[in-house]
Amino acid sequence: MAKKATPTTTTYSPSPTVHKTRPSLFRTDDVNWVRPDGRGFHQCRPAFFRTGAVNAASGSAYAEFGNTKVIVSVFGPRESKKAMMYSDIGRLNCSVSYTTFSTPVRGQGSENKDFSSMLHKSLEGAIILESFPKTTVDVFALVLESGGSDLPVVISCASLALADAGIMLYDLVASVSVSCFGKNLLIDTVLEEENYQDGSLMITCMPSRYEVTQLTITGEWTTSKINEGMQLCLDASCKLVEIMRSCLKESAVTISEE
Amino acid sequence: MEFVTPEGLRQDGRRPRELREMRAEIGAVSKANGSAVFEMGNTKVLAAVYGPREVQNKSQQMSNQALVRCEYTMANFSTGDRMRKPKGDRRSTEISLVIRQTMEECILTHLMPRSQIDIFVQVLQADGGTRSACINAATLALADAGIPMRDIVTSCSAGYLNSNALLDLNYVEDSAGGPDVTVGFLPKLDKVTLLQMDAKLPIDVFEDVMELAIEGCKAIATYIRNVMLEHTKQLEYHRDG
Amino acid sequence: MVGLSTGEKLFIQAGIAQDLRTDGRGRLTYRPISIETDVISQANGSARVRMGGTEVIATVKAELGRPNPMQPDKGKVSISVDCSPTAEPAFEGRGGEELSTELSIALERCLLGGKSGSGAGIDLSSLIVVEGKLCWDLYIEGLVVSSEGNLLDALGAAIKAALSNTGIPKVHVAAEALDNEQPEVDVSDEEFLQFDTSGVPAIVTLTKVGKHYIVDATLEEESQMSSAVSISIDRHGHICGLTKRGGVGVDPSIILDMISVGKHVSEELLNKLDSEIVAAEADEEE
Repeated sequence: MAKKATPTTTTYSPSPTVHKTRPSLFRTDDVNWVRPDGRGFHQCRPAFFRTGAVNAASGSAYAEFGNTKVIVSVFGPRESKKAMMYSDIGRLNCSVSYTTFSTPVRGQGSENKDFSSMLHKSLEGAIILESFPKTTVDVFALVLESGGSDLPVVISCASLALADAGIMLYDLVASVSVSCFGKNLLIDTVLEEENYQDGSLMITCMPSRYEVTQLTITGEWTTSKINEGMQLCLDASCKLVEIMRSCLKESAVTISEE
Repeated sequence: MEFVTPEGLRQDGRRPRELREMRAEIGAVSKANGSAVFEMGNTKVLAAVYGPREVQNKSQQMSNQALVRCEYTMANFSTGDRMRKPKGDRRSTEISLVIRQTMEECILTHLMPRSQIDIFVQVLQADGGTRSACINAATLALADAGIPMRDIVTSCSAGYLNSNALLDLNYVEDSAGGPDVTVGFLPKLDKVTLLQMDAKLPIDVFEDVMELAIEGCKAIATYIRNVMLEHTKQLEYHRDG
Repeated sequence: MVGLSTGEKLFIQAGIAQDLRTDGRGRLTYRPISIETDVISQANGSARVRMGGTEVIATVKAELGRPNPMQPDKGKVSISVDCSPTAEPAFEGRGGEELSTELSIALERCLLGGKSGSGAGIDLSSLIVVEGKLCWDLYIEGLVVSSEGNLLDALGAAIKAALSNTGIPKVHVAAEALDNEQPEVDVSDEEFLQFDTSGVPAIVTLTKVGKHYIVDATLEEESQMSSAVSISIDRHGHICGLTKRGGVGVDPSIILDMISVGKHVSEELLNKLDSEIVAAEADEEE
């Protein structure tokens, strides 16, 4: 896990107040403006995936996008709780938690209480629930370090963990977000950018089926901008899913070699 | 603090033995089997009844009578100062229990064995006497649901401040710390089903205060009966129309 | 939840396909909407909205507080929703919590805009009293009293009506305080400032059943949905927020189509809401 896809600049997560002067930079339509980590506006952070991070789980995955580091473990399918009513399709139970040290201010991550239900909604459309009736699959995600665009990373990583656990899926799920700053669209924002964004758009999709399982938008958007943002996200998720797929293949090769 | 002026008027302009203005509306929640809104002055509660229906938790099923359940909830905006109370705190658990016991007593539970009746009361505005208002609303809702009852049960509170027995205390009078007697009453059977009091009162004064509360209950019963009659007439009109 | 037989399910689906729903509506028709304002006297503003059998109450309470040091020129707004067990026995105890959180977050996303405040229905800088020191905190609280489907649209409408009913007391700052002291203020009991609610968006939920989308779905129709998209749109046709519910994937082009249908419907809905709110306010003055 220590091996990184590219050398990332390891800086301390900056306290937001230090960058108080930044917003003026975002406001201008200065095309030459450089993002905090030197990426282009439409360039994603280098993604790193690895399956089998947790031995006790049926399947697990670790993902690292810049400073955002998450680990997802999948348990099951196992018998549903006795109190649950009979169900001829499987149940999906998702939970997203933050470590207390994941954010610049201790324990701030717990503010994102809706992430668990968002993860659930993003994944349920991709899982063939009919394949495991009367049972439950638990997906536990833990954000080790929050470096921006946490939810998309959690979702992509969770779908990889599901695949690693051998849960039947229609397709891998990839998730990407774009943020809008004035007239500019920035893909895969980091934490310090997120604090000043005018709006954000997150798409979760199954690239091979070309279907969107989840979409959220906040802030003010025109239809043309939504179009542009969606296209940007969809293209990026097609590339992202390739990386995920190669990671799965790699792990399969290692197993067969052993 | 002066709660009754020398002219015999209370802070909100009522006489000591006067009820606040009441308003009742039957059928506020279309999906429920029975529902009602009951207002006493600024206190406003909504009650909904679901059932009789199949018992949800089989272990609670009783073969000789119906299971009556009750939940009391307060809206976050119901009190003057905004606060976020956790659900199921001790006060609401106690009131839920009081309402459940009072209503269970007047429902003919033996007619509906192996079934369950849920009473949900929601306080929309609290200005003293929520307990009484909830019972009155629950009575109306149960009647609207067509659940067989011995009698309609009504409730009213009375207190004793500045050497005066006061009927139907509002929030200011209630929080003055004086004695507060809440009575639940079956008017036709002339029986008391609920009696609660905090603080202390001499026996003879207590009798006066309780008598006053019972008078209040009777007045409310007359009002509730009229509301139900009016509602039934409306139904008849709709049928004929 | 909703127990439906196969026949009933087919009836609902076929009706929607033929643009004639079980209650006689077309696909893009709302149920009758009625609005009543000032229903909760303790709040600064309140409204009750009925959409068919769905009934919700929204209240706005304003309290003086300190602005966030990150955004010294802005007030704070929070939205929370509670589901009363009167609406659905399943909401008993903690049963309604999941739905309450989901609705609260969807409403915050739809009405409060992005982190920098763009696209917000409420102008946060209008809530400031003394920059960096004193601002109004708005607590918007919703209560679901009766649920017959389409709660989000109803709550959105109720919040819009409650905000137009809200009067924020005028504050007179007595004396300029020192740098790190709270200024002394005098909150007026008589003079109130009204909110400009023309920018508050309306929420339109499009529910996809089969190949078609419908607005204002009832509980029975919602049980047949494959996915639903809630879009909040303001007067200028800008999208202020969007949430998708229902996990089944849809083609991106369908979402774009849904957005354009939503835009069209929202114009009508906004007009309807505005006229209802004006009528409710007039009623109240009488």
